[in-house]
Amino acid sequence: MDVSQYLEIFIDESNEHLQNLSDQLMVLEKEPDNNDTINEIFRAAHSLKGMAGTMGYKRMQNLTHDMENVFSEVRNGNMSVNSELVDVLFQCLDALETYVSNIQQNQDEGTDDNEPIIKALNAFIASEGKVQESSNKAEHGSDSEPTAPDIDYNGIVLTDFEKNAVNEAFKKNLHTYKIRVTVEENCILKAARAFLVFKNLEGHCDVIKSEPSVQDIEDEKFDFDFSLVVISAESFGEITKIIKSVSEIKDAIGEEIKAPFTEDAHAEHHDEVKEEKKADKDSKEVAVADKKPAPASSSKQPVAQGKTKPVGHTVRVDIEKLDVLMNLVSELIIAKNGLVSASSLEDGGAPVNQTFNEQIEYLERVTTNLHESVMKVRMMPIESVVSKFPRMIRDLSKKLNKKMELYMSGEDTELDRTVIDEIGDPLMHLLRNSADHGLESAEVRKERGKPEVGSIFLDAYQDGNNVAIEVRDDGNGIDVERVRNKAIEKGTITEEQAASMSDKDIVDLLFKPSFSTAEKITDVSGRGVGLDVVRSKIEALGGDIEVKTIYGEGSTFIIRLPLTLAIIQALMVKVGDEKFAISLGSIQRIEDININEIKYVHAKEVIHLRGSVIPLIRLRDLLDVPGEPLEQENITVVIVSKGDKLAGLVVDSLIGQMEIVIKSLGKYININKMISGATILGDGSVALIIDANTLV
Amino acid sequence: MEEVKALDKNEENNAIAVQYIVVKIGNEQYGINIQYIDNIVRNQRITRVPKSQHYYKGVINLRGEIVPVMSIRLKLGLEDDDYTDKTRIIILKVDTATIGVIVDQVKEVVTLENKDVEKANKTTLDEAASGYISGIGKSKEELISLLDIVSLIEEG
Repeated sequence: MDVSQYLEIFIDESNEHLQNLSDQLMVLEKEPDNNDTINEIFRAAHSLKGMAGTMGYKRMQNLTHDMENVFSEVRNGNMSVNSELVDVLFQCLDALETYVSNIQQNQDEGTDDNEPIIKALNAFIASEGKVQESSNKAEHGSDSEPTAPDIDYNGIVLTDFEKNAVNEAFKKNLHTYKIRVTVEENCILKAARAFLVFKNLEGHCDVIKSEPSVQDIEDEKFDFDFSLVVISAESFGEITKIIKSVSEIKDAIGEEIKAPFTEDAHAEHHDEVKEEKKADKDSKEVAVADKKPAPASSSKQPVAQGKTKPVGHTVRVDIEKLDVLMNLVSELIIAKNGLVSASSLEDGGAPVNQTFNEQIEYLERVTTNLHESVMKVRMMPIESVVSKFPRMIRDLSKKLNKKMELYMSGEDTELDRTVIDEIGDPLMHLLRNSADHGLESAEVRKERGKPEVGSIFLDAYQDGNNVAIEVRDDGNGIDVERVRNKAIEKGTITEEQAASMSDKDIVDLLFKPSFSTAEKITDVSGRGVGLDVVRSKIEALGGDIEVKTIYGEGSTFIIRLPLTLAIIQALMVKVGDEKFAISLGSIQRIEDININEIKYVHAKEVIHLRGSVIPLIRLRDLLDVPGEPLEQENITVVIVSKGDKLAGLVVDSLIGQMEIVIKSLGKYININKMISGATILGDGSVALIIDANTLV
Repeated sequence: MEEVKALDKNEENNAIAVQYIVVKIGNEQYGINIQYIDNIVRNQRITRVPKSQHYYKGVINLRGEIVPVMSIRLKLGLEDDDYTDKTRIIILKVDTATIGVIVDQVKEVVTLENKDVEKANKTTLDEAASGYISGIGKSKEELISLLDIVSLIEEG
């Protein structure tokens, strides 16, 4: 079967299951007796196995199969969960992730069988499950048919007539085989597969009996297996090969009836096995029922997960389609702005048609709502990125031999999809930094009177038009003097410069390329590629990063990211003859200031406003706007903020608030960071967007 | 980019004929390989971009897209542009980037064969311009400096 169309769904769902597994394993490590968790893990592993099998990824299937066996033992109480087991299971997850990423890249799972992991898993089963193994044999066998000697032939019973046929065959020196055919659990058209089995067998053998009946099989009235009795001149191997050549047929097993037919010796066994299978099937059903509508819907969460996360009605949409939609909305807004400016041009002339104005206002409302809706569609909770971090911190804790705990909050904070995709790596860098450089060793912590277990916090929250993500630790903090000395040593700054630089400027040096203060380079961090990469990535997303640190008490890295990327509300201002846009999100307020109120501190202009001293930035000078400055009694100051810092931008006049579409200036025109892009105004002219964050 | 350049050279060596748009900048005629040309538009209001390279005049709105506009004159070290009603902005597409260049006048399209093109003699050319000229074409007794568009745009 051509499964390529399902590939994306497979990858998405696999990743979800893996994430789920990882989360649940973390819980399991802490609460080894939590039955819900164990069941959840079992289901996720089972679904993964089924999916991998359907897609023909045998190695992945094998590995999940062995994992499932372990979980099954744990679920039955034959095995206890300990830290070593969780370690091995995490290794499994890593191996599975590698498979999935291989598949994602080249649609092939790769060639690594991960033997050591499989061996380790089996070793656990062997050592822990031994005592009860014999009593649980049937259970064990229910999922590993090839090894089980007892084959369930769906209770096939031959009538006298059929027995005669078998006996006839013996006389003619033909072979009679009993075969049980198993269909893949995720097979969508079971009946069609079964039909193909019958069709392919034609000419090779006579099917004298099937259970369920041929009619029932064609009506899909069977679970995942059916049994056949066939008479053939060919060998058993040939026949099963023909059956297995049909895709989505998982297995065909059986035996030859070597003597004239007598009562089925396994009849007694059936009920037992069947019951066992039923129990098992309940969980399978979940996976299968979910799987079917997958191409159109994404209600793929196993039912059990519904307890914690209500399953909504969702549709998977290609992100590219959303991009197209977003672009169309952008165009619409530009067109609307054109109409708005066309209507205002008529001012002063003949009375403007009132209906026209009303319609424009209506259009404005609709486009704004449309834009918000499209933006919301593109928003994703940050959870999808941060959920892998607890696992990472756990691994780091072991690797660095430091005790640490990660506390997260605000995982439901939403960000644009493009930002979500990019923010994972920078956050990971910061967390690794905190774990490696930030937190002290247990001894030092004890000396300093801190709890032995270090804490790392990851907090996300919305802050105006920005989303802030804070990575905080209660570790060592940054030793400013050491950074200062290091910088001088490396020749990054001269001693004179160092003396005049504030602590904050020194800390900022950490973001310079190839500046690492870690005394020893570890596997975890300290190669000097960390922080500058973090900064450039975040700036590329239109955000910024800031550090606050107190030596001995810990440091906080604050990342601020714009909530939306493409369309923002902006204040339009005029400087000279040029128009500029300033994002409304960073504007605190607008003040009219008498020029006599301007004071000087360090030869720089500041104003004193309600208890705070705000530096003034004259946009005319900053942006080299041609022409002479206006002689004004009062100047218009736009107060912008970044975090708790303020700055006052001096402009000539205000135009008003406007919804603008952000366009990139391209890579060739080398602009200062303070221009974050451009936008097209209603009259078709271009206005540049000032990134106030870089000015504060 | 190397690849594009290599490709470009190959074409010039092997192709039987290449079409160029002949433009006038100052007193000289320049040829722009037609494969890079997306569009030719009339001069329009250019929005200045502060702190950009001196040879970038700014950006324009080309049907909803923001396109940076470069002055070939300034890039070649000539005098600043003098806008007339013949001034045009030629929109070039290199890779995925779109960029506009200002020319004094668009004259015609010529087809040059290999034999009509002389490799640029670096010594006779102005130093600032030499890097951006790939050769000299001869058409109807007139000389056309063929612009190496990729290096004109890529090299800062």
